[in-house]
Amino acid sequence: MTWTWFHRLGSPPYIYRLAGRLTPWFGWIAAVLLLGALFDGLVLAPPDYQQGDGFRIIYVHVPTAWLSLMIYTWMAVAAAVGLIWRIKVAHAAAAACAPIGASFTAVALVTGMLFGKPMWGAYWVWDPRLTSELLLLFLYLGYMGLRASFDDLQRADRASAVLAIVGIVNVPIVHFSVIWWNSLHQGSSLSLTGKDTIATPMLIPLLLSMLGFTLYFLAVVLVRLRGEVLRRERAASWIGEVVAP
Amino acid sequence: MSHFFAMGGYARYLWPSYGVTLLAVVANIIWARGLLRRAKTEARRRLDMQGESP
Amino acid sequence: MPEGLTPPLTAARLVITRDLTLAFRRPEQLLHPLAFFVMVTTLFPLSVSPELSQLRAIAPGVLWVAALLAALLALEFLFRDDAQDGTLEQYALSGQSLTWLLLGKTGAHWLLTGVPLSLMAPLMGYTLGVPAAASAGIMVTVALGSLALSFIGSIGAALTLGVRRGGVLLSILILPLAVPILIFGSRATELAIRGEAYVAPMELLGAIVVLSFTLAPLAAAAAVRISLE
Repeated sequence: MTWTWFHRLGSPPYIYRLAGRLTPWFGWIAAVLLLGALFDGLVLAPPDYQQGDGFRIIYVHVPTAWLSLMIYTWMAVAAAVGLIWRIKVAHAAAAACAPIGASFTAVALVTGMLFGKPMWGAYWVWDPRLTSELLLLFLYLGYMGLRASFDDLQRADRASAVLAIVGIVNVPIVHFSVIWWNSLHQGSSLSLTGKDTIATPMLIPLLLSMLGFTLYFLAVVLVRLRGEVLRRERAASWIGEVVAP
Repeated sequence: MSHFFAMGGYARYLWPSYGVTLLAVVANIIWARGLLRRAKTEARRRLDMQGESP
Repeated sequence: MPEGLTPPLTAARLVITRDLTLAFRRPEQLLHPLAFFVMVTTLFPLSVSPELSQLRAIAPGVLWVAALLAALLALEFLFRDDAQDGTLEQYALSGQSLTWLLLGKTGAHWLLTGVPLSLMAPLMGYTLGVPAAASAGIMVTVALGSLALSFIGSIGAALTLGVRRGGVLLSILILPLAVPILIFGSRATELAIRGEAYVAPMELLGAIVVLSFTLAPLAAAAAVRISLE
């Protein structure tokens, strides 16, 4: 019973149509949330006692950093599913994630640098969190580079899946680096279990922003997923109706 | 209004941050749609070629 | 286990013996990474400063960067010959655990590349102003770090097997995974050079080594099978 939906998700025509239907929903809701977060974060939220208006960078820095980790995790999980159960749709999902994850890792690094300069006085320090986030960018680029080096899409899928899975060790390193080592980077202000250390009027736009970015990612990845699924379907009959001009 | 853009002196860090983020947001949308469009064209071409061969 | 099948540990040992025997028939191949290590190390006194006091300060980093680059160079011949003459395919089809066979191959590779590097490192350290008393510490830290590098590198080597100009891609793929080894290794070497206790980073390095030689052959075996398809 529970496996039915799993098998359906593995069916290319089903996932193609589902993705097409979900994208506008995710996209528009994300747009509303992000605009709301933008207004709330830039206008409504009060300036910080120590960091003045500069703290508002967190409304883009934190969600993009969160995305960089979350996307890699999903990419590795999809790659593992594709490798173990030989499901093409899973490989398509992993491929769809990579460019989005890479670009937002870069954004997280850049916004982090622009936040770090006024706050710590330096654009870059080789502290554990920044270094491991930089390594995450290299992992994404290596993944994309490995994919590109194969002519055969199936070989590319399977080889890059191994790389994605091996690289997953970096994700907990990035996340826990602020706890394990003395880091210049701020520790977690948000906690699933404990009390948040950030004031509520500043917290709301952050939560809106994170949710908005997550839905935005879903909308974009589903578009890429449809493209990747098409690339992996050769003579399938269902394509005819879908791509008819 | 200019007070808003000044952002308490942090403007030259804050606005580029938001700008870079916006750039990535827009670029990913364009890139994704381009990928889908090219995949559809490629699929159409493959089907046409198969339709022609007996 | 099917009857008559050699136990995996014995198979691994046989692979090690084979690889070592073959390597000693063509010793020039082993000299390349070593020569590269020596040359890279000597670039620093020439480009940075001949002042021994300054060189001593950067010595751990220089030794480790040079060792990492030499190890990456050496990884190219981990699978190359066996892939070309079909031995690797035979390994994959043999019914033996490919993981164990690769454990043996990578171990042999480390004996042929990492160990010589760790023996050469104190010598080059001396040219960088490092006191001779630190030699043992340098040897141990480089030996351990290169062991981890060989195993993690084997994954990259397996992934880039069929790829043209795979050497560059291999380096790019391995680099993010090799960085922790570089960080802890050079930290351990630095402490050893200063004559201080280097147990703490060594423990972390040791943990990485254990993790890599247990998990890397699994990943490498999967990657080899994919590359041979």
